[in-house]
Amino acid sequence: MELEEIIDAFKEKGLEVRVQTRMAGVKKKVERKTLWVDIERERLREIVEYLIEISEEFPHFSVISPSDIGDEVEVNYHFSVGYGKYMGEIPITLKVKVPKSDLWVPTLTDIIPGTVFSEREIIEMMGVDVKGLEDKRHLFLTEDFPEGVYPWRRDETAPKKTNKLYEGWKE
Amino acid sequence: MKYTVPIGPIHPALKEPIAINCTVSGEEITDVDVVASQNHRGIEWIGMNRNNPVQTIYIAERVCGICNFCHPACLIMAVEEIADIDVPERAQYIRVIQSELERIHSHLLWAGVAAHELGFDSLLHYTWMVREKVMDTLEIVNGNRVTKAIMMYGGVRRDIKDEHVPKIREMIKYYQDLFDKVAKLFLEDKTIKMRTRNIGILTKEDALKLQAVGPTVRASGVKKDVRQDTPYFAYPDFDVKAITPDMLTGKVVGDTYDRIVVRLLEVKQSVEIIEQALDEMPPGEIISEQKIPKLLAKIKRAEGEAIGRHEAPRGEDIHYVKLKSGFESLYTWKVRAPTYSNIMAWRPMLMHHQIADIPIVAASIDPCLSCTNRAVVTENNEEKWLTAEDLHNLSVKKTKEMMK
Repeated sequence: MELEEIIDAFKEKGLEVRVQTRMAGVKKKVERKTLWVDIERERLREIVEYLIEISEEFPHFSVISPSDIGDEVEVNYHFSVGYGKYMGEIPITLKVKVPKSDLWVPTLTDIIPGTVFSEREIIEMMGVDVKGLEDKRHLFLTEDFPEGVYPWRRDETAPKKTNKLYEGWKE
Repeated sequence: MKYTVPIGPIHPALKEPIAINCTVSGEEITDVDVVASQNHRGIEWIGMNRNNPVQTIYIAERVCGICNFCHPACLIMAVEEIADIDVPERAQYIRVIQSELERIHSHLLWAGVAAHELGFDSLLHYTWMVREKVMDTLEIVNGNRVTKAIMMYGGVRRDIKDEHVPKIREMIKYYQDLFDKVAKLFLEDKTIKMRTRNIGILTKEDALKLQAVGPTVRASGVKKDVRQDTPYFAYPDFDVKAITPDMLTGKVVGDTYDRIVVRLLEVKQSVEIIEQALDEMPPGEIISEQKIPKLLAKIKRAEGEAIGRHEAPRGEDIHYVKLKSGFESLYTWKVRAPTYSNIMAWRPMLMHHQIADIPIVAASIDPCLSCTNRAVVTENNEEKWLTAEDLHNLSVKKTKEMMK
């Protein structure tokens, strides 16, 4: 599917698509485009299934990157479709905003098995619960890492004591 | 006089600790579990809380010693997109040359490790001797073999000068002359073929579903390469084609042997790219903004988000960056190295193989971890720990038995 078709298809589903462009190349100039789509968490699985439908082979899932933006956590799912040919790949980021008072996202592991590491990672790093995920063990942090401390948060649950990494540390 | 050399929990062959728990019945592996939580360095936290964006380039360079160009490259591409920083044409070419030099040395390093895991140590020493040529070139061009500190927002920090060009051309000729010999050593050797053909197969379907990247996914027949799919830097000028094993052998099996084929062909491709880049490199500036405080002020004012993607030697490397106006550090910085995606593929690769195959199969994805460090073997419900040395010895033993 071409970029315009994908944008139109998302519009039909009632979703706004933001396109970010950056030039590359010296002799042969090309436009690299990335798509950013805001969606509700209730529609996440539906949209991911749609991505599988429109990809020739299978959509490539890169990673989940969450950020703490005050009262909400923004969970970005980085996908790309159409890889395998010159300038054919379209990176699509699905942005899901979740309130901190009700912090969860649905699992995608049954649709895309490769999301398991990222989902385990956002549980321990951001405190975002992943509903339906079977394996909720720590991924990168040790087993004895304190409960209720989330390294990527910017509120009171962010690590405080660990800030002093060495003697002579400047606050 | 006696010396004690402690080996492990970090194995010197591969960096960073990780454990694979393999459940076996007799010699056969029946279940695989990867435990990554051995040592987390909190690099993203440092970039998000302690450092300013320029300092973060140097911490990104230390994410990985081998890919010390790739991580700053991703970070810088993302920040340049958000803050709209221009990059001079010459710098784009230098970036291409640097990333290809890195690919050559990384793939040759891997080839040596693979030979070692099979117990073929003369080939390890030969491959690493061959690798010294590119390391010397890196040293001549950058003043350093690793952690070269070459990337900067809006360009590169060091130029490739006229006196460097003959040295790089000498390296190109050296590798072009050697390619057939190295390919013969790796691909036609009976022992290597026995130990790698049909071992650690990753089917195309598994590779796609488990989101494998780089030579691991290309060896399974998926033509996925960021340099081809969404070219960046000066890559659109080069028409890079993703390499799959059928280009040489005529078929795709997706086993360890195919992963050797892909990496060898990629070394050849990198050499060609560097040659073309040297021929066509435009003159001019190498950085658009010389003054660091001015650059920092510009980044501090910027607001937005972007992803930076780069085809690292091991596969697609992706960084997500979010900048907030007035915020000193990067607001959000997520690093996804290729091994993160590739270790999920260990499970289907290792299933139903022998314990002695663990080292070469685990090494075949070129993990950026000390992969075979600790494997738990459950036999008759009793857990027994095998160290890297035990596994290596088992692997060598298997090679010797097969050679009989």
